[in-house]
Amino acid sequence: MTQERQSVSELLSSKLWLRRTLSALSVVLLLSGLVLIGYPLASNLWQGRLQDRLGKQLASPQLRQAYKDRKVGTGDSLTRLKIPDIGVDVVVVEGTTPSALRAGAGHYTQTALPCDVGNVAIAGHRTTFGKPFSNLDRLKVGATIELDTPVGGCVYQVSKEPFVVTPNDLSVLDAIGGNRTLTLTTCNPKGSAAERLVIKATLSKDLKQA
Amino acid sequence: MRITGRLCTLALSSMVVAGLFATTPASADNAEAYAGSAAARALNLDVLGIKLTAGSTDALANSSPAAHANGSGLGLIADSTSKADATAGQDQSSPKACALNLPISGILTVALACSQSSASAIGGNPLAASSADVAAIDVGLVNLVLELLQPILDALTPVLDQVIGTVTGTLQPLIGGALDPLLGNLGLNLNSPVRSLVDALKNVTNLATVHVGDTTSSATTDAGKVTALATAKGGEVDVLPGLGMVGAAPLLSIVLGSATASSTFDRTTGQSAASFDPSLLTLQVLGVTVPVGLGAPITLFPGTLLESTISIGAGHTISNPDGTVGAVADGVSLQLLKGVSGGITLELAHAESAVGGAKALITAQSVNPPAPPAEVKAAELARTGAEAPWLPMGMMLILAAFVTRRVTRARR
Repeated sequence: MTQERQSVSELLSSKLWLRRTLSALSVVLLLSGLVLIGYPLASNLWQGRLQDRLGKQLASPQLRQAYKDRKVGTGDSLTRLKIPDIGVDVVVVEGTTPSALRAGAGHYTQTALPCDVGNVAIAGHRTTFGKPFSNLDRLKVGATIELDTPVGGCVYQVSKEPFVVTPNDLSVLDAIGGNRTLTLTTCNPKGSAAERLVIKATLSKDLKQA
Repeated sequence: MRITGRLCTLALSSMVVAGLFATTPASADNAEAYAGSAAARALNLDVLGIKLTAGSTDALANSSPAAHANGSGLGLIADSTSKADATAGQDQSSPKACALNLPISGILTVALACSQSSASAIGGNPLAASSADVAAIDVGLVNLVLELLQPILDALTPVLDQVIGTVTGTLQPLIGGALDPLLGNLGLNLNSPVRSLVDALKNVTNLATVHVGDTTSSATTDAGKVTALATAKGGEVDVLPGLGMVGAAPLLSIVLGSATASSTFDRTTGQSAASFDPSLLTLQVLGVTVPVGLGAPITLFPGTLLESTISIGAGHTISNPDGTVGAVADGVSLQLLKGVSGGITLELAHAESAVGGAKALITAQSVNPPAPPAEVKAAELARTGAEAPWLPMGMMLILAAFVTRRVTRARR
């Protein structure tokens, strides 16, 4: 072992480029490590700023008109989602593209609009970008979920214990008859995209404006 | 990564051969079958099984016809990924996906973790291309600087032209041989060198560009050949890009860690060929390459748990008995502590490509249908969770940094 240590020492002494490469490597590793550790924090800060902007947009007359015309663009504010039991208060944007989901939560465009007849489906981050759905697994049957849209609001009640599906199980987005339901999805387990955690709720109160 | 390269080539070979058998009827008639694939990684880090990939691109084209391209600026960030798929008659391009894109008009553009992919299979010639980079910083300011300096240049140019013209005219017979290639590329007129230099500066697009982790992969098909090409660069700094007359070469270009792997299938002859070009450091002045030597691979503590291999500018080609070929190139490759749970692998600028096929052999009036297109990935519920355990991976990398630093300092 001593000989090996000596040979490493000799090698490092004789090869300047090797020393420099290793030095550069250590800097790259250090920076990469710091970036990895800092990424969740940075994404949360980013999402916080974005939410401020989206909150203002949600109250704007332009968005109200776009909502009425059903022309809300991907990435624009759609509704405010509140889940008092787990402290969620987040503006949901239209669309579930990676870019749109930087806001924290996004509405599946192929599903019904909030409070409308059919199934409203919303996806939210669980570990980064404000992690609004971090504690979704703690929701119990009967818990309330509020949606405030530019044209009114409604309240849903969790109808089923949280359950897990595979990522390609799109059946959870389907509407069942003429029921008004809400589906929330997020990645499961925390920090992984291997599965999806699903919450199902049914409409209990419609506060839609005239 | 050699294993990966071989597996890639093997998979490609199997696919082509399977395709050939699937489309071969009882007679001697064969439809043409081919496939080309390319993959490039700017950085591939594997610490005891925890992987981090940056600047990653893949492209595949085959005779179905189908084309598939994928790109990723940083594997951990979903926003930096792009994807395009096309089968017969389709053409798809994904928009440029970036984790951060911050253009400040005319002054500075910062783009982090970006990728873009396109795929097309129109006219029976499938094309797939993808590009990605970890960071791209373009420093503009050229036009602003030129505008500010214009009055001074206008006043000084005639005088300077006269003085410099006299000096260079005197020196031309002595050093003309050495300077001519550079001056020619710069488009410099020795009778008015300052004026022509200012004119050349007007072609400059940026003051400097710094690109980290650039990779491109393409698989293209035309009437004559199928080409798979992968390029990867660890880092590139270009000073005054666009200054040179030939190919808009920059004044100075420094590329650290680059690798190119190319494979070609000749559709006329049915022959395949592969080549590679790895490099630790490439310097170019106005497009003229200054050669920099490569180091040889070094293996430390062979046969022990601590066995480590350091390869600089390595590459090789692979030829299989079925005629498929591949090429693999690495700018820098470190495989440390191979005996410890897979050890630590760091590859800076890795490129690999492969092609294979068989030309058409048509003696009858009909040909069986081509092989089915590659599977299309099913849509899935929105991805809202990171794949990586950020904190442990970050801590692991920082620990690795301290260990590496300690090894470097141990000699003192």
